[in-house]
Amino acid sequence: MCRPVGRSGLLGSIHAEPRALPVISAVGLSKSYGSTRAVDELSFEVRSGVVTGFLGPNGSGKSTTMRMVMGLDRPTAGSVTINGVGYHDLRWPLREVGALLEAKAVHPGRSAYAHLLSLAQTNAIPRSRVDDVLAMVGLEGVSRRKAGKFSLGMSQRLGIASALLGDPGVLLFDEPINGLDPEGILWVRNLLKSLAAEGRTVFVSSHLMSEMAQTATDLVVIGRGRLISDTSVENFIASNTESTVLVRTPETERLQGVLAAAGLRVAPGADGGLVVTGATAVQVGEAAHAASVMLHELSPQQASLEEVFMDMTSDMVDYHGLTPDAPVDGAPAGAPSGAGAEVGR
Amino acid sequence: MTAIAPTRVTSLPEPSGRRAGLRGELASEWTKLRTVRSTWICLAIIVVAGVGLSALVLSIEAGRWVHLAADERALFDPVRSSQTGLFLAEFVVGVLGALVVTSEYGTGAMRTTLASVPRRTSVLIAKLLVVGAVVLVVAEVTAFASFFVGQAVLLGQGGTSLPAGSTLIDQVHAANVPVYGIGHPGALRAVFFGGLYLVLLAFLACAIGFILRHTAGSISTYVGVLLVLPLIVSILPSSFANSFEKYLPSNLGLGMTAVTTRTTDFAGILLTPWVAAGVLAAYAAAASLLAGWLLVRRDA
Repeated sequence: MCRPVGRSGLLGSIHAEPRALPVISAVGLSKSYGSTRAVDELSFEVRSGVVTGFLGPNGSGKSTTMRMVMGLDRPTAGSVTINGVGYHDLRWPLREVGALLEAKAVHPGRSAYAHLLSLAQTNAIPRSRVDDVLAMVGLEGVSRRKAGKFSLGMSQRLGIASALLGDPGVLLFDEPINGLDPEGILWVRNLLKSLAAEGRTVFVSSHLMSEMAQTATDLVVIGRGRLISDTSVENFIASNTESTVLVRTPETERLQGVLAAAGLRVAPGADGGLVVTGATAVQVGEAAHAASVMLHELSPQQASLEEVFMDMTSDMVDYHGLTPDAPVDGAPAGAPSGAGAEVGR
Repeated sequence: MTAIAPTRVTSLPEPSGRRAGLRGELASEWTKLRTVRSTWICLAIIVVAGVGLSALVLSIEAGRWVHLAADERALFDPVRSSQTGLFLAEFVVGVLGALVVTSEYGTGAMRTTLASVPRRTSVLIAKLLVVGAVVLVVAEVTAFASFFVGQAVLLGQGGTSLPAGSTLIDQVHAANVPVYGIGHPGALRAVFFGGLYLVLLAFLACAIGFILRHTAGSISTYVGVLLVLPLIVSILPSSFANSFEKYLPSNLGLGMTAVTTRTTDFAGILLTPWVAAGVLAAYAAAASLLAGWLLVRRDA
């Protein structure tokens, strides 16, 4: 019994210590196209056993990075390894790394079965495994149909089947939920989590923060090819969200003066409310009580992940839409997401 | 500290062999080639067009024999004429050879292929070998069928074999169109080289596909080399063009399919069969080396 080097290393490290060593490790990874730096000095680590979200706006270098991990594009500088070795040195790459890079990367005239069989043959994967993965992604009924006739959702499933083909310990998915219906999205979410729970390393790119908030444990956030953050989802929210308190009162002007006098940062919010930044609801409530101001609402606000992400990457997006980016009515960055509970007098 | 990941039980048996390489990639390329309809359409056209055009050309030549001038009679080669269909089939071979590569670049499937077999030269070699083997079988079937059908057409129109030891003068004065058996000196080689000509062109098309990575660009380049280049050369002053006309791929094909004893008639116009085959093989090898060099160097 001699397992491929990478895999036995991965499983071995899981048994050795609960907190696994990084499986994917990028150091100073850079990619230039002419004078454009698509990926700029990117360093990050991806560990096994959890889903790691790879987040960035469209065009931020996620796919380029994925291709460099896969040994498809040559880095201009830096390097990336999987279980300590470069992709080119993996002996049976499909048995160690499975990837979904582009859903439609299949000859339109070839059946799903033939496509998977041709991949299986390159890495000495038995034919029976093709039927297994087709069943796993729910394509067994259409496996003999031409892949060109597949919907985008079915193509994504076929791409996921090809990633799972070698039963690999490392999985890379580039925007796997694109084109999926809600049922499909839920299926992918659960699949990613269960793959991670089996001890695999799951690295998923997305431009949707909300999606990653529901799926990922760790986050690698990039903008314009640069690393913005490499942390857990929890930490990311905690360290990037400034909590605000929304307060409503019939005596808006008086309360504003009272709060300002108490040294709190206060600004007019939407619909005549006030938004207090950098203070807790307790502080605001006590200050109002001390000045005998009646409150109609006092609710702490938490910025959603999407807002945090938009905020962080707003200057990192290369192509803005034509939407005016001026905030409406001096509302805080991003509208409050938590439905504030009404506070009685 | 209880978060120890459960051990995964893999159902996959151990791979035999050291690493993903040429062996698996050969099987994979064969699967890919046989599972698209365009392959079978191309191969069918090669056989039908190849044999059909050859029979048609020989039928016309046989019918016109009595009207042919002496120099036309002298140049008549029943073997090479029976291989005329290959010069139609060669375009289909080019489409097949290019598509094997460019269809993968067009869809992005080449990335999946190169991720499965990171040793990229194995991918190039496997594609060349699989396409080469398939074209060899089909092209040889076509070449030999063209020969036998062609000679049958000649016989059907009153063609007769010239007795052994006949000279060019005998052929010019022959009352009936001459017919060669496969045992005629050089005939077997000429027919075999007809098939080989298509195999070498398939290599060339495949290599062009890797170099240009685009279906339309690759096929037009291939057609340009075979069809447009000779047109350009024919416009040039003959004193200038004659020296390299014989190195054009299509003329190499004519040289390869000529019967040895008759090549002297083309002295200066065509290369002798073995030299022609060698030059075309050198073209295919040079294009393949460039393709391999680019494949390894470029981003997928």
